[in-house]
Amino acid sequence: MYESIIEFINRLIYVPSEGMVHPGLSVNWVLAIIVVMVVMVMRSMLTGNSISTATAGNLNLSRLPMVGGFFSALVVKPWILLSLRVIAALIFLLVIYAGLFGTPVPERNIATVLTWTVWWSAVVISVFFVGSAWCAICPWDAIASWLVRRKLWRRGDAASSLNIRVPKYLRTIWPALFLFTVLTWLELGAGVTTSPYATALLALLMVVLATVSLALYERKAFCRYFCPIGRTLGAYAAMAPIALRPIDNQVCVDCKTLECYHGTNDVEPCPTHLLMGTITQNTYCTSCGACTQSCPTQNVGWRLRGIGEEITYASRPHTDEAWFILGLVALTLFHGFTMMPYWEDWMRQLAYQIGDSGQILLSFTIGMTVAMFVPISLYLLVVRLVHYFGQSPHHFQRVFNALAFSLLPLAFTYHIAHNLSHLVRESQGFWTVLFNPLGVDTVPLSVGEIHMRHMNPLINNEIVFALQATLALFGFWLALRIARQRLTSVVASGSSKAVTALSFTPILILITGFSLVNLWLLMQPMIMRM
Amino acid sequence: MQVETQIGEYYVTYMAFPAFPKPNEQGRVNLYASRIDNGATYHGEVTFKVRDDSWFSDEQEVIGTQAIDDGVYRQGFIFKEAGDFIITAEFESGGEPYIIDFPLRIGEPTPLGPIGIAVLIILIVLVGVNVTQRKRMQRVKASQHHRDNRDASDDEL
Repeated sequence: MYESIIEFINRLIYVPSEGMVHPGLSVNWVLAIIVVMVVMVMRSMLTGNSISTATAGNLNLSRLPMVGGFFSALVVKPWILLSLRVIAALIFLLVIYAGLFGTPVPERNIATVLTWTVWWSAVVISVFFVGSAWCAICPWDAIASWLVRRKLWRRGDAASSLNIRVPKYLRTIWPALFLFTVLTWLELGAGVTTSPYATALLALLMVVLATVSLALYERKAFCRYFCPIGRTLGAYAAMAPIALRPIDNQVCVDCKTLECYHGTNDVEPCPTHLLMGTITQNTYCTSCGACTQSCPTQNVGWRLRGIGEEITYASRPHTDEAWFILGLVALTLFHGFTMMPYWEDWMRQLAYQIGDSGQILLSFTIGMTVAMFVPISLYLLVVRLVHYFGQSPHHFQRVFNALAFSLLPLAFTYHIAHNLSHLVRESQGFWTVLFNPLGVDTVPLSVGEIHMRHMNPLINNEIVFALQATLALFGFWLALRIARQRLTSVVASGSSKAVTALSFTPILILITGFSLVNLWLLMQPMIMRM
Repeated sequence: MQVETQIGEYYVTYMAFPAFPKPNEQGRVNLYASRIDNGATYHGEVTFKVRDDSWFSDEQEVIGTQAIDDGVYRQGFIFKEAGDFIITAEFESGGEPYIIDFPLRIGEPTPLGPIGIAVLIILIVLVGVNVTQRKRMQRVKASQHHRDNRDASDDEL
């Protein structure tokens, strides 16, 4: 029995005929994950309507022994954040310089290595520990702010921007979803990741967009509505264990001056129009620290909380955010598919069938559209079934918005697991690149060097597998928990156990299905990025 | 530099040696063409042409016609000047013409273009915002001045 299961799983693993690939999750890990998933499903079915409630009383990090002082300084002293922003901006300028003037060999140029192998992989992982902290030191925004406001850190002159209110049709995160889709197309289709020059162009473009947006619109419209990275980190930050929150809620309730929202003479107002007293979700918080510095009672601080607590209980469903989550799910899955050895074969066959030639971008675009269409269609079908079985008194849209949260942990954990593979297996060359960022007098990696990197990952393969397995299970567990909780808000009140169980079944099947696809992708050997 | 592409019934791989040739340096293009359906190598002749990849140039020059040599079509070249060029490989199979264009950069690319464009856009926006805001302020001051005068004359009456 055991042998036949192992043999079946082994048959699902693609064996590439050529090329250097990263190993996928081993069969034993896959089997262990499936067993635990089965237990979780059974437990979830048996739990019925008994839903736990949010745990109150989060921990204020500035009161922690040893590290409390550091967290306290981090939120109050502007020079710490400013120093980090300056460092990030200098590195970013180096990336642009190296991309434009350095070697075109991607694995020898800091522009491509730092951007795609290190930053792009690590920034998503960072959300798991520090939420949207990256946004606080984001060089796109830092450079744009310095150019437009003409102040290093104090509040800029209001006349430095036209302060136009963002048009209503743009006051959603649809623009960010569109840009994220374009970014994925550029990354995986047009091959920006293997071109230092194109990477530098993209970096310049983002600075131009951030600067123009800041010069035209009020506050930081780019961060709030347009930035594909900021919105992705914002969505994931709903699961982060830390968040900027009031230390004492009553102080915020009694506050009449609202410095966090309006700013002070020295400190900028909240760039994304958040009011600390009413904040319930991390989605739009850029961790910039303006609220912590402007609060006259120093009532804002970093707080430790349960992972996934916000997205389970506090996040409010909005249509654009629900679509963004769906986009993330579809694009992360697509990301995984494109790094499978058979993806190129599929694209080649498709291009042959439709007469596409050259870089076969049309075929890629069709493949990407289909890859995005399938999970979204499945989700729509599931929402329809939940709506029907649960005899929901609410509009379809509300069910759609509420249940989308349950898919976010799947996208997040798969994204981290996938990026972890890139980070530990492809970043060994980083130190070499750091000492020769422009790759002067270097040649492309030899087969021997590629082989050496491949054989010596930063972390032992078994540890990577263990982390990936833990992430896959955590994502599955959290998705089930959120689905259970969110379901209570959309099914008819006073529904019987049978109705609740019946309405839970479609979303349970979808979550399990997506998790198995993620697991299957993690099992496959993955093509090295560079 | 290596470029893989597919056209019609063929899968074509193009390699330039050295990867980033410099002016007056001997270089070579290797081209492999195999059928997509069965992987069979194309046997025939491939003509290589070159043209300047600039907006106002469509002059094309034949570099040479090559027969297969150990499964590869090899074409040597020397460019006297730096710039962006398009290498065109042409062959015929099953009565159908196949024409494939590949980019070839000779020498270092010009990096000032993108930086110049980015700086120009930012500069135009910032100057535009500044001018608009100054006009706004002047309008506000003028209307304030007008209101003050009116209030003063009302007081006199």
